[in-house]
Amino acid sequence: MSDKRKLRSRKVSERMAVVDEADRRRVIQARLAALEQDNHKEDDFGAGSDDEYELPAASGSDAEEGPTSGRKKKKVKVGGGMRKTRGMIEAKAKGPKVFRDFLEEAELERLPEGEPSYLTAAVGPPRTAAPRKFCSVCGDLSSYTCTRCGSRYCSRRCHAVHTETRCLKFMA
Amino acid sequence: MALQDVVVMDVGGGSVKMGSARQADTPKVFPNASAKLKGERQTFVGEAMLGMKDVLALSLRRPVDRGYVVDWSLQREILARALKGLLGGLSASSCGLVLTEPYLNLPALREAAVRMALDELGFASIYMAPPAALALRWHAQQMPGLPANAAGCGLVVDAGFSFTHAVPVFDWRVLPAAIRRIDLGGKALTNFMKELVSYRSVNMMDETYLLEHIKEQLCFVSQDTAADLRAARGRASPFRREYVLPDGLADTWGHVRTAEEAAAAAAAAQQQQRQGGPQLPKQPVLMVNNERFMVPEALFRPTDIGMEEAGLAEAIAAAVQAAHPHLHGLLWSNVLLTGGTARCPGFRERLFAELRPLVPDDYELAIYLADDPVLCAWRGAALLAASPSYPRLAVTRQEWRSRGTAALAKWEQ
Repeated sequence: MSDKRKLRSRKVSERMAVVDEADRRRVIQARLAALEQDNHKEDDFGAGSDDEYELPAASGSDAEEGPTSGRKKKKVKVGGGMRKTRGMIEAKAKGPKVFRDFLEEAELERLPEGEPSYLTAAVGPPRTAAPRKFCSVCGDLSSYTCTRCGSRYCSRRCHAVHTETRCLKFMA
Repeated sequence: MALQDVVVMDVGGGSVKMGSARQADTPKVFPNASAKLKGERQTFVGEAMLGMKDVLALSLRRPVDRGYVVDWSLQREILARALKGLLGGLSASSCGLVLTEPYLNLPALREAAVRMALDELGFASIYMAPPAALALRWHAQQMPGLPANAAGCGLVVDAGFSFTHAVPVFDWRVLPAAIRRIDLGGKALTNFMKELVSYRSVNMMDETYLLEHIKEQLCFVSQDTAADLRAARGRASPFRREYVLPDGLADTWGHVRTAEEAAAAAAAAQQQQRQGGPQLPKQPVLMVNNERFMVPEALFRPTDIGMEEAGLAEAIAAAVQAAHPHLHGLLWSNVLLTGGTARCPGFRERLFAELRPLVPDDYELAIYLADDPVLCAWRGAALLAASPSYPRLAVTRQEWRSRGTAALAKWEQ
């Protein structure tokens, strides 16, 4: 009985949760970072070459080991492929080098004051214009704010679409 | 040893412009990326992407991240493949190279570029310069009458693929302390449009390459955003367009549906209904409405998409302010728009309307759109490559081998 109530109250509170300012900011930043992404996914080492084959495990052994072994397939190396060194594996875990890594390595903060660099060229926050507000669903000018997540909407119709599709989806 | 030819490369985040100084009319332009069709092994590298018959669900890999080349092995492969076709029988070791360099390049990346060009691609000598200075050279040749052009002075707006720069140039050199950058370019705009249409119309999250094409065809810069937004409401919006998506057969890129096509499709559907036949399959279309002008709008007001950065007009004003006061008049009289994003219709007019209030009224403001914004920097570089000053500016392989990075010091921006 008490368990049941606990479950119910938790559900209600989740639905009524309001995203605080820090989280809203984080969501916006994540969205901006996504604008610079490519859709490329890094392949496994050697996946493009022909030196590795995945052999399906024999069906007999599969049955013995139970259903969990279905995921594990033995990788059998055929021919002399490139050996994976520890450095390669570490480099792979870090992912390919991006511009941010180069920027950090260049240590531009340590340049003398007034020396022009990548950092001094940033245009900085605006001084003549305030942000305008657009409906997150249809893109029109909006006058209302979603009370839970802070997104904008312009009409009841757009609000309905918003709550159904986007609102708090990033919380999950 | 006299050079047989000078190769000119403008390596941008979006596309590579490559050609030889002897044939300055016909540079090659191809995507600076490698593409893979989902689920297939074959990879199309750089120039080969132009011949692709299927542009759906491509997995793209780009050597450039935020405007700077970071994946040098991929970049080398893209350039080397295109070079082979360009040079024909000629060997790279008898050719010079003019290469564009991003503004305020990091020393490590500059070294990597020289190493690629001289050691790996094998050029005899290299000269690197930021695209703004080169673009202004071409502009000055087109309009020699301007007093600012005679002084090699102007403000170059480089609205590129990775970001947008306002670059003051004087005496053919960029003024590094006065450069201003907005971290928004064609790539971010394409991805922004992708996100919008995927939410509102058809899921296109995997179709970056196609979306870029659609953006170039349909987007324009609004002159009055509020009024255009009001007009875009409802079914009768004048901005509503349907883009017919590629069918994978005859139509590689898809196209904007014309009024006649829409009428014909509606008539056919009606006739089918009257005859009681089965419903005709609908052509897959992408509906675009206010996205057409709200996407480029982000460049003028980055705060609209949550980016805490000033808009383009303010960035230009800040760049001019940072230059020496004696140059302000010349800079305002010669604002040059280059880069692929500047092709967007209405860009110049909107920028003028936003910039004029920020310019002191004693100064005349003139904005020029380069005749070919994408190739402007390349053509300027070709002029330089063909000029007699190239051997003086270039660093040869012997100099690089013996003196290393010290040899590059003569290019200080």
